[in-house]
Amino acid sequence: MSELEILRNYIRTETGYEGELAPDLDLLEKQVLDSFSIVQWAMFIQERFGIELEAEELVRDNLSSFSNVMALIQSKKSAGVVQGGPEM
Amino acid sequence: MPRSIPRFLCDTAERLPDKTAIVCKTRSVTFSQLHQEALATAECLRELGVEPGDRVGVCMEKTLDQVSVICGVLFANAVLVPILPRLKQSNIQHIIENSGMNALVTDSERMNEVAEFAAVTRLVIGHGNLDSDWANLPYMRRFMRPRMFFDRIGNDDAAIIYSSGSTGRPKGILISHRNLADGSDIVTEYLGTCEEDRIGCVLSFNFDYGLNQIWQTISKGPTLYLHNLALPNDLFALLAAERITALPVMPVIITKMFDKRLKLATASYDFSSLRYVCSTGGRLSDAMLRDLKTTFPSAKIYSMFGLTEAFRSTYLDPAKIDSHPTSIGKAIPDCQILVLDENGEECPPNVVGELVHRGATVTKGYWRDPENTAKVFRSHPKFPGETLVFSGDKVKRDAEGYLYFVARGDDMIKTKGFRVSPTEVEAEVVRHPEIVDAVAFAVINIEIGEDVACAYTTVTRQPLAEHTLKQYLKTHLPNHMVPAYLIHFESFPVTGNAGKLDRKAIKQAAFERLGSEPESIAAGSVQA
Repeated sequence: MSELEILRNYIRTETGYEGELAPDLDLLEKQVLDSFSIVQWAMFIQERFGIELEAEELVRDNLSSFSNVMALIQSKKSAGVVQGGPEM
Repeated sequence: MPRSIPRFLCDTAERLPDKTAIVCKTRSVTFSQLHQEALATAECLRELGVEPGDRVGVCMEKTLDQVSVICGVLFANAVLVPILPRLKQSNIQHIIENSGMNALVTDSERMNEVAEFAAVTRLVIGHGNLDSDWANLPYMRRFMRPRMFFDRIGNDDAAIIYSSGSTGRPKGILISHRNLADGSDIVTEYLGTCEEDRIGCVLSFNFDYGLNQIWQTISKGPTLYLHNLALPNDLFALLAAERITALPVMPVIITKMFDKRLKLATASYDFSSLRYVCSTGGRLSDAMLRDLKTTFPSAKIYSMFGLTEAFRSTYLDPAKIDSHPTSIGKAIPDCQILVLDENGEECPPNVVGELVHRGATVTKGYWRDPENTAKVFRSHPKFPGETLVFSGDKVKRDAEGYLYFVARGDDMIKTKGFRVSPTEVEAEVVRHPEIVDAVAFAVINIEIGEDVACAYTTVTRQPLAEHTLKQYLKTHLPNHMVPAYLIHFESFPVTGNAGKLDRKAIKQAAFERLGSEPESIAAGSVQA
């Protein structure tokens, strides 16, 4: 599964959202995620992709869309802080 | 001059025309612009047939537009009915029908959904796309020449706020312009709200506490920063960057702000500008107070208490938060709090009675519900001709005059011949360092009447070992108050409009859990 598919699957399963999930969709603005579920979302991303997000990275803009999350994962990986790759 | 919200805005727009009133992300409006926007909105509503006294719903996200529409409804001489967009359809429908709403303003996000069941309203006004059959407010506003035609007096109806209520369907509480103006003045008096303040607003504008931030802003001239709390670090960044001086919150918000599962950026910011944090809508646990004091050492902490029927009843002097952390304080200015026994006599110190509120913020009653109004909004022989709010809440007053919340209405747990206050059990349970919040309630036990049960959430979101937790509680609580059942929740559900702990849903979920784990029920049957 691609990163995008993994992320989409999580959102579909956890939120039951049935609308279209474009990579740039603002998940908070569209109320797919709320202030409770975004914390779970942040935890999932860290565990699933083996990255540890620092306080300054745990902000709305980094986690609000699939594109932003994928960019964040990339930047963490290229910074060499990956603790273990995604398990397929 | 009339006591009203439009009066506040007119005066402040004249006094501070170019001062920033509201900031939302990168956009902002001055008091003069907000005034003009509100007038133009009022003109649009009138153009669409809204007449004085008509109920106008506002179902919008928290934006600059929402603030100008809220003010516009009042300038149009109409009655504001705020609706939280997150509410379930059936709840929104109930509010539309029950209020006899004549018009509804919503943003494009909710438009199609709301249109389906908003057919009962004569008019529906939308923001958003022009190709819909909704009248478009921003478009209309361009052609409206604002006029000042507010003609209400302080006694006129200003708003109907639907309170989530712990039982039954939400009830509409009818509030006058004078109530709103008095509520704003009273709060600004004890918080010292002033022009130099910058208020961080994480509250929604769908209930009295959130709306009061708008009223305070347009009466005293601080700047209101709108923020939708998602991840706490964004809020911390805003507080530091904008040098926020005032932060009104609720316990559920504090829990979100200090979520221990996330790395928090609190140490990297300077919060020295923060003058106060105020909270209402539930108890502040030791953990919450600790987090607030550690993170915001410069801020005074105001613990406040009230019910929408009388807006606000008490607040605790922030200087007493360490010596009296569990007290709800004393009466707000211009109001008197009575603690009455069943005969309507004042209770002696430390005796539990009903909280009865007398004074400025007593609202007009329940909308179109004379039966329930007569139960709660009553007179007292000592104050002929006056209407007081009999809250149903059980409180007691100590010898120094500090009030303590004991229980909502008939929530008292009757066990082993004792009457146990859920609040007192909860207060002790949340002192446990690992526990964030707790809800205590009764479980029927045919042998001893009722058992004490307590649902709890933890810092780690993991359950605690039951026997060690019970041992811990046994050293802190008299035996009859130690919960027989301890039910762990990952997080607690909150009520729609106001974001308080949804005690009814928590109880229900706990009963289901207890019912599905029969071995944990030692004696007796479980009933809701």
